[in-house]
Amino acid sequence: MTILATEGLSRRFPRVTALDRLTVTVGPGVTGLVGANGAGKSTLIKILLGLLEPSEGAAQVLGMDVTAQGAEIRRVVGYMPEHDCLPPDLSATEFTVHLARMSGLPRTAARERAADVLRHVGLYEERYRAMGGYSTGMKQRVKLAQALVHDPKLVFLDEPTNGLDPQGRDEMLALIRRIGTEFGISVLVTSHLLGELERICDHVIVIDGGTLLRSSAISEFTQTTRTVTVEVEEGRDVLAAHLAGLGETVTAAGRTLLVEVRAPETYDTVRDAVCDLDLSLIRMEQGRQRIEDVFREPADV
Amino acid sequence: MSDLSPGTPSLGGAPAGVIHDIGYRHYDGPRTGRGPATAALAVHTLRGVFGLGRPARAKIIPFLLVGTMMLPAVVSIAVMAVAKQKMAGYTEYAVIMQAVLAIFLAAQAPYTVAPDLRFRVLPLYLSRPVTLWDYVGAKLAAMAAAMFLLLAVPLTTLFIGEMVVDLPGPPDTGGYLTSMAGAVCYAVLLACVGVAVASFTPRRGLGVAAVIALYLLASGVSTVVAAVMESVNDYDAAAWAWLINPFFLVDAAVQVGIFGAEPSAPGSYPTGIGVAAAITIMLGLIALSVTALVIRYRKAASR
Repeated sequence: MTILATEGLSRRFPRVTALDRLTVTVGPGVTGLVGANGAGKSTLIKILLGLLEPSEGAAQVLGMDVTAQGAEIRRVVGYMPEHDCLPPDLSATEFTVHLARMSGLPRTAARERAADVLRHVGLYEERYRAMGGYSTGMKQRVKLAQALVHDPKLVFLDEPTNGLDPQGRDEMLALIRRIGTEFGISVLVTSHLLGELERICDHVIVIDGGTLLRSSAISEFTQTTRTVTVEVEEGRDVLAAHLAGLGETVTAAGRTLLVEVRAPETYDTVRDAVCDLDLSLIRMEQGRQRIEDVFREPADV
Repeated sequence: MSDLSPGTPSLGGAPAGVIHDIGYRHYDGPRTGRGPATAALAVHTLRGVFGLGRPARAKIIPFLLVGTMMLPAVVSIAVMAVAKQKMAGYTEYAVIMQAVLAIFLAAQAPYTVAPDLRFRVLPLYLSRPVTLWDYVGAKLAAMAAAMFLLLAVPLTTLFIGEMVVDLPGPPDTGGYLTSMAGAVCYAVLLACVGVAVASFTPRRGLGVAAVIALYLLASGVSTVVAAVMESVNDYDAAAWAWLINPFFLVDAAVQVGIFGAEPSAPGSYPTGIGVAAAITIMLGLIALSVTALVIRYRKAASR
């Protein structure tokens, strides 16, 4: 089943090309959209919401064409923008109820859904207070709640972890994962950190400069790029030579060595090698892939 | 909201009223389309203009101004009851109370548009079935309805009062109906101009100042030019000068021009071609304001 699909989608502004012949398909579940600032993530979301006309190409959301059926799409999708969008003198309840009504819910249903959804995103007594006094974490939760209040089939979350502290970030990511699994709502979530999306997504799309860099299931993604960082006190080169002799692929990166993990046995090999050479091991860390790593690799999608 | 349906007998010993976390529930009830959503937005805005559903301090100014608008009507009824004579006429009501109407417009028109621009709520509306033009239409309709109520409620009160007091002679039904037609035109013109001016700044205070400044400028220029023209005995030019003030403009175009009421300005209005001109200027101002709003929101939506 395809949730959304684009076909040669381009969008040119007078001075920049935001999207350049982008062709992707997205299935149900949680999909990450990764790219640096200005990569075209927000432009893509605006086109998918039917708010921006593509210059060229076509896109479908839930089987509906974005140019012809924008209004129908907007009935069944939710959108959480990247920027602040909360009036400070309203309470979270008033705000969410109002936006539920704007999505076409009758008055009583809007109240019930707003209360339900605010509870699900983790806002309790504070939802009756004016939003001006909320922390960033609470504001992000309200923004998420208004995107979910009309029970959409698909939500677009634009940088939901922006400005959150590590704990808030973890909670937000866990919540997004729950939306995709427990709530049964498909999610397209953008971020410029691949690392955080790795943990919650089924599928990741990487774009840069409006073009597709790669699009693959998260399992393939981590398999092909898994490395382990090894740092020893002295004798980095000795260890590198030893490991290379054992058939491992090793690259030196500053004070550390990057060892490609072919199979779980690689960890044992590294451990044994350090022991055999009698070196002091400082750390051995699962290579966390970052967006930059993807950019460094050739775009062999 | 309760998870326990009222008819379910509670099990012995189990406390009634336990909150069960039953997980996420899907919504499969009715979903209305654009129309009802737009209507809901208009009603929400209209309530907000009068401070309903907003904190107590947001209610002070609109209620104070509504009270002031009612005052002449109430005093007139009292005078009619006691002295058995008429005081305020229907068609001159808006002109006499123009400062109050202008202050209400200046104070409340920015409320309808500025917060959504300033706090960037607009994208949340646009990601829903309502379109940009539904949004602008709802805001205009709400402000026009508020201005109409502000004028029509005291006029209607006055008319009911006149019938209850039962003065000698027939009640001035014609005057009342003319003033209601005038009220519709006042409401539409003032709301369009006020909302258009207010939409150009996301800051509410600046919007208030801009609308009130525009009114003071128009009424000041109108009075000064008319006075100068009258002092050189050019009464034709003076009649045209009154039209600079939007309150005299609607009076001249609709109440006097179309329905033949007595002019409420200190002088007379242009006649003949002047009536057609006044109507054209009024409609032109409305069209200009709506065009300005369209341009403004095109830009705001593409942000």
